[in-house]
Amino acid sequence: MMVLRILLLVALQALLLRDISPLGEWTQPQWALWALLLIPPQSGAFVKLLGGFAMGVFLDIALGTYGQHMLAGTMLGGLMPALHNLFAPREGYEVTDRPILRDMGSSWLLGFTLASALVYHLVLMVVTEWYWHLMPAAILPTLTSACFTTVCCMVTHMIVYSPERRKTGS
Amino acid sequence: MRNLWLLLQRNAFFLAFIALLAVSLSVLFQHNGAARSTWFSRTGSVHSKVEQQRHQWSNYLRLAEQNTSLAEENAELRARLLSMEMETGWEEDTLRGWTVHSGMLVKGPDGAPLSLSLATPGQDKAIEAGMGVLAGGAAFGTVEEVGEAHSRILTLLHGAASWSCRIRRGGPVVSLGWDGVDFERLQLVDVPRHIQAQRGDSIFTSGYDLRFPPDILMGTVLESRRTSGADFISISVKPAVDFLSVRHLEFIQHRSDSERVALAAPPEP
Repeated sequence: MMVLRILLLVALQALLLRDISPLGEWTQPQWALWALLLIPPQSGAFVKLLGGFAMGVFLDIALGTYGQHMLAGTMLGGLMPALHNLFAPREGYEVTDRPILRDMGSSWLLGFTLASALVYHLVLMVVTEWYWHLMPAAILPTLTSACFTTVCCMVTHMIVYSPERRKTGS
Repeated sequence: MRNLWLLLQRNAFFLAFIALLAVSLSVLFQHNGAARSTWFSRTGSVHSKVEQQRHQWSNYLRLAEQNTSLAEENAELRARLLSMEMETGWEEDTLRGWTVHSGMLVKGPDGAPLSLSLATPGQDKAIEAGMGVLAGGAAFGTVEEVGEAHSRILTLLHGAASWSCRIRRGGPVVSLGWDGVDFERLQLVDVPRHIQAQRGDSIFTSGYDLRFPPDILMGTVLESRRTSGADFISISVKPAVDFLSVRHLEFIQHRSDSERVALAAPPEP
């Protein structure tokens, strides 16, 4: 399911959403990140690591970037267990908890999504710019892009897991 | 062994993380020019120092062997000299004036079709791009690029290079190259089928490429194959230089090299 979700979002990003960037380099969202963020916090560390790596591989193949998303995805996948621990509630995660608004609350979702997006975009910036002297100019667009990715993920989240839709469904 | 296994099991996630990062980095280095050049510039100088040190030790260990070989060569030359009778005195031929600088090979060809070699010295000893390079009196290659203290050598074992040569002294001029397969076999390419070449015939430089004087040994014919119906024959050549054990090099340059190169260059339109 996770792999299918990643594949779907990678395909959507590569084919349709790639060019949605209202302010150019200042708002370059990574839509596929949302699929990775939906991995439940209580899943094994290997699942998160391999999920991040797989997302990077698929993105690199689809966008022709060769290694950049692979590195950023692996880094985020490797750091996800630590991020989940960092944002864990005092009493820990329930077995049935899913990383959605209804289970985890808005502040958890917003904080976790923003932290993950920051990690991903910063690693992506390092491998894209590569030379130290180019990075100061790239840091601000990276931060705004991470914020925009967070907004995009939250909007997608609200659309897919909207409370009204759930009520209608039940 | 059990403890090692337990240690690996305990750190399996970290090891997997590092392994996946390494895979990602290797893909990045392969396809990203900036990343690759940074990596090679960082590691290249270290690699060169390590190779230089290794060669120093290796040379020291081979001193006895080289001494023996020099003594044997000396004895043979002395024997020849003693059996000759000099009729006239030596005269310097200024038309054939070549200057020679000695050097050391730091990194030799590794058998890959496009591998380049590294040698000392560089600009510090007036080495220039385009100079011919000999090893043990036989053709080894040419200087392709020169740094402060090192020079990059394009050897006979480079798949993209071709060298002007003659079959036997005064024989027809043909082109010598390497197909990148066996480093003990060079190939004479586009040899017309009327040309005769027997196993054991020597291949010499023609001097036409301006890097080497004529009649420098390049190799010997191993086999000559004639395909029925083809206009050309294929000739395999065993190089005179043993590329695996070569250490000492000689950089040669004609005294009026710049004039020769300028005159040989095609006129500007």
